[in-house]
Amino acid sequence: MQDILDGIKRAILVGEEEETKKLVADGLEKGLEPRRIMEEAMMPAMEDIGERFSSGEAFIPELIVAAEAMRQGMEVLKPHLAGAERGSGLVLLGTVHGDIHSIGKNLVRMCMEGAGFEVVDIGEDVKTEKFVEAFREHRPDILGLSALLSSTMQRIPEVVEAVRAEDKNAVIMVGGAPVTQDFADRSGADGYAPNAFEAARKAKELLN
Amino acid sequence: MTGKERMLAAFSRREPDRVPVWEMAFNEESIIKLGKFYTDDLPPMKFAQQMTVEEKIKLLSTLFTVAKELELDGITAIGLLGTEPVDDEHVRDGWGRVLRVSEEGEATAVGGPVTEPSDLKGLQAYHPQPADFLMLMAAVGNLGTDIAQVLVQPGPFRESWSLLGSMEKLLYHYIKNPGFVKDLAQVATDYILEVVDMAADNGADIIALDGDLAFNQTTLMSPAQYEEYVFPYHQQITEHAHRRGKLIFKHSDGNMWPIMDGIADAGFDGFHPVQPQCMEIGEVKVKYGNRLCILGNIDCTYLLPFGSEEEVAESVKETIRVAAPGGGYIISSSNSIHPGCKPENYIAMVKAAREYGAYPIDIAD
Repeated sequence: MQDILDGIKRAILVGEEEETKKLVADGLEKGLEPRRIMEEAMMPAMEDIGERFSSGEAFIPELIVAAEAMRQGMEVLKPHLAGAERGSGLVLLGTVHGDIHSIGKNLVRMCMEGAGFEVVDIGEDVKTEKFVEAFREHRPDILGLSALLSSTMQRIPEVVEAVRAEDKNAVIMVGGAPVTQDFADRSGADGYAPNAFEAARKAKELLN
Repeated sequence: MTGKERMLAAFSRREPDRVPVWEMAFNEESIIKLGKFYTDDLPPMKFAQQMTVEEKIKLLSTLFTVAKELELDGITAIGLLGTEPVDDEHVRDGWGRVLRVSEEGEATAVGGPVTEPSDLKGLQAYHPQPADFLMLMAAVGNLGTDIAQVLVQPGPFRESWSLLGSMEKLLYHYIKNPGFVKDLAQVATDYILEVVDMAADNGADIIALDGDLAFNQTTLMSPAQYEEYVFPYHQQITEHAHRRGKLIFKHSDGNMWPIMDGIADAGFDGFHPVQPQCMEIGEVKVKYGNRLCILGNIDCTYLLPFGSEEEVAESVKETIRVAAPGGGYIISSSNSIHPGCKPENYIAMVKAAREYGAYPIDIAD
């Protein structure tokens, strides 16, 4: 069984989508526990690529193909996971009003999914009211707000305030090129991360 | 010296009479806010794409007034590719790319005419039209040849991902389909070479090759991927610009350190904007000051939007002290004068550049 787990991990690391799906299906057929596949092969693969990314050994293309293999593997695995095992939590993501940039947020989505979160991505240029509506609809464990520009970043505190009026216990993370820990603190956010992998780590930390 | 002579001297890494002042871009709102200092004849505050022809002309005329009043040494024109509206938020250009317009920055492709390799065969390449260069022609007509005329054109990386409608898709194919990436880059490059020709024919002195290749942490691709998928196309473009007697520099935000050797080797004459959050300009000057003219570095993320005029002046002074001696430095913001920048701070930046930028530079540590 260990060879299948190792194979899944390797397939995700090199971004082999078909191989990942095939090995996940093989593992399930041979009686591997779905949770074991996720926790001992898939999530470690994404942690590994995250480490390589942080150390400068891997770049965004390697991350993107690994995340895609992970996503496709999860599609095979998900129906077999029991409700309580379905992941680390629900994350609602969006880029604030006026900001049409997507890649930073999309990388966070990939890393969150890689860390076992279910992600609802409501896109770019999202008005504050829409964040509140989506929060009400999905009741996420974490709300993630992104901004690439120092001008649009100014809308983050407004969204934090509006969502907290809906739920004072809402867990909110912020990020994006101009965002700093200091700005996150001043905005009233619970968490900040300087990059997508740290964001996934921080999200887990906030929920534990 | 004229503004153009100053800019060209800096690109030759010689000392002009003073540090040239130039800017890569001003957004509509920034132009109007700056224009208020010099004229009452302003266009309404809206996106250029939503302006009438008369309003667009007024916007350009306001930009030229600002350039004259501030005695800028160079002016940047963008290609004005014709677009048709798709809905309130999107337009379609001549390539068939769907662009999302934004009040806070340039329009970004969200849908392209290419999704897979087989689409390249049937792709109707867009060829630049004279009307695309109307801003350049207007700048030359209004400001003349005493000011350096810069035309900004997205590079092969940005043009490639725009054809796919997503940067992530292009980077995915870096691993999955290298041949497709190279074919796309060549389609983009062939188009860019035509743009360089038309820019040269219409009075451009300098080409700014736009399109970020990095973000705060590192480059978007590895140095090896840059060498394989971007460098050969950069080289084709710089060689072509030089054949046409034009200078060309690379613009990219972010931490470009991993591929800076490649940028210099590809034949670029300069590098912009040395984002201060990611790269230290003194180090760039030491390592590449003998090969590249350095442009930019005055922070437009925090300083120009939120700082005081005194803080702006202090930053200009320090940046000139580090980057200007020996020539090879052109001052500008670390990206553009976007709507978040205080117009007073931009004016303070230009004034400080005049105060501290006279050669020989004599600023104590």
